[in-house]
Amino acid sequence: MVSPSALYTAPDVSEKRFTVDRSSEKYQTTNGRTTGPSAHVLGAGQIDVDRPSDPKLLSDGRTPTPLSILRMELTGLQDDINEFLTERMELAKNKKLKTQSQADEQRIDKEITKLLDGGDDDDDETKN
Amino acid sequence: MVNLNTVPPRNNRDYYIAIGLEGSANKLGVGVIKCSRSAHMASGDNSHNCDVEILSNIRNTYVTPPGEGFLPRDTARHHRNWCVRIIKQALEEAEIKNPHLDIDVICFTRGPGMGAPLHSVAIAARTCSLLWDVPLVGVNHCVGHIEMGREITKAENPVVLYVSGGNTQVIAYSENRYRIFGETLDVAIGNCLDRFARTLKIPNAPSPGYNIEQLAKNCKNKDSLIELSYTVKGMDLSMSGILAYIDTLAKDLFRGNKKNRLLFDKETGEPKVTVEDLCYSLQENLFAMLVEITERAMAHVNATQVLIVGGVGSNTRLQEMMGQMCKDRANGKVHATDERFCIDNGVMIAQAGLLQYRMGDYVKDLSETVVTQKFRTDEVYVSWRE
Repeated sequence: MVSPSALYTAPDVSEKRFTVDRSSEKYQTTNGRTTGPSAHVLGAGQIDVDRPSDPKLLSDGRTPTPLSILRMELTGLQDDINEFLTERMELAKNKKLKTQSQADEQRIDKEITKLLDGGDDDDDETKN
Repeated sequence: MVNLNTVPPRNNRDYYIAIGLEGSANKLGVGVIKCSRSAHMASGDNSHNCDVEILSNIRNTYVTPPGEGFLPRDTARHHRNWCVRIIKQALEEAEIKNPHLDIDVICFTRGPGMGAPLHSVAIAARTCSLLWDVPLVGVNHCVGHIEMGREITKAENPVVLYVSGGNTQVIAYSENRYRIFGETLDVAIGNCLDRFARTLKIPNAPSPGYNIEQLAKNCKNKDSLIELSYTVKGMDLSMSGILAYIDTLAKDLFRGNKKNRLLFDKETGEPKVTVEDLCYSLQENLFAMLVEITERAMAHVNATQVLIVGGVGSNTRLQEMMGQMCKDRANGKVHATDERFCIDNGVMIAQAGLLQYRMGDYVKDLSETVVTQKFRTDEVYVSWRE
């Protein structure tokens, strides 16, 4: 059975490929590290009744069904992608951690401003 | 001339089967409907009288602890983890053996709503579409409420009061659009009631609004309302100031702030009002505002019928107040549905989506299935009405 994979591209990232390592434990569970309930609701006393079901097993009682293997591999892949994107967000937010060139920093700033308010004010200021 | 038989049912059947997937807020709903392709649907405005048979209507609600609202991330997680189970349950109850052959169209909520939960359900809809080779229709959530309400109550051309956790609108149909006559300028009425329920720390199950309604019913001082602002502004209304004020009163009551003379007796220091009084006064005030703008919309369009849809529409006191107003008007009549159809559900999405599909309006490319948090009721071209 072919494992799923994912590909991420962006102007500053040539190509980031996410693949499954079947020997790693994180691809052998349906409970991901990053896909659980948020700390906020758990802190408020939430009982997690919405967790994903455990993998279904074949009649031998040990081997997961092919669909369950796919679910587990996707769970691990989702964790990898979430962690990668979180790092990128942190990098964009926290200037102290930035290692990119000045030009890169300006580009990220511009992108954030554009995302937050559409960049209209910037344009106006430039004109003035 | 409206021809609702534009697209024939699949496999030479004489009826359509549609499945609807709803998940714009904290309710995940999947419903299956069956609708005959009768000859009278080929001409005229019959979209309110489609002889819909409800084969299944399954709903699962994401409920948070008392005092908490539902966050997009956790709500989306709920929908992701329950979606397959709920779809299977809905198909089983509807006795759909082979979706590839039996289902004509998959309808899903495209907006408005919370982005992350909408996205979770849209992915499920796309997957089913590819898996079963069945066309998709993206549905406006508000139009779903309206069309379900019209079908259940058979109200032909009512003024619609749409009251829920995310929307408060007075709507009337004109020239292929559901036109918004008036709406909230800030928070929706359901959101106002839900947030007050959080202040009171009352349970969120079955719903915070329902629990407020029950507390209000138990009010023993119904003849002495607590004075609240009455903020009708033309055809619009505002509720955030009222919420902020009544929140303050509730907090003062809980803290035992004796300086608040409205709440505590000057001489004895005993509380003069109860939580039940607050709930009752809040409901009466807000509902009176809604009734006023609805009546004005009825006068504008010379309508005699009102249809109440949305989760708050299941509140019996609102129905009663609206009924009184309609009774006072000549030949007025109020239409409302029970919680099965008022509260967000999959069947309403199936109903509005099927009407769209029967007019030949369905997704041609998956890029058209991108969800949107902002999707106003009047953006939809209502091709299925005259």
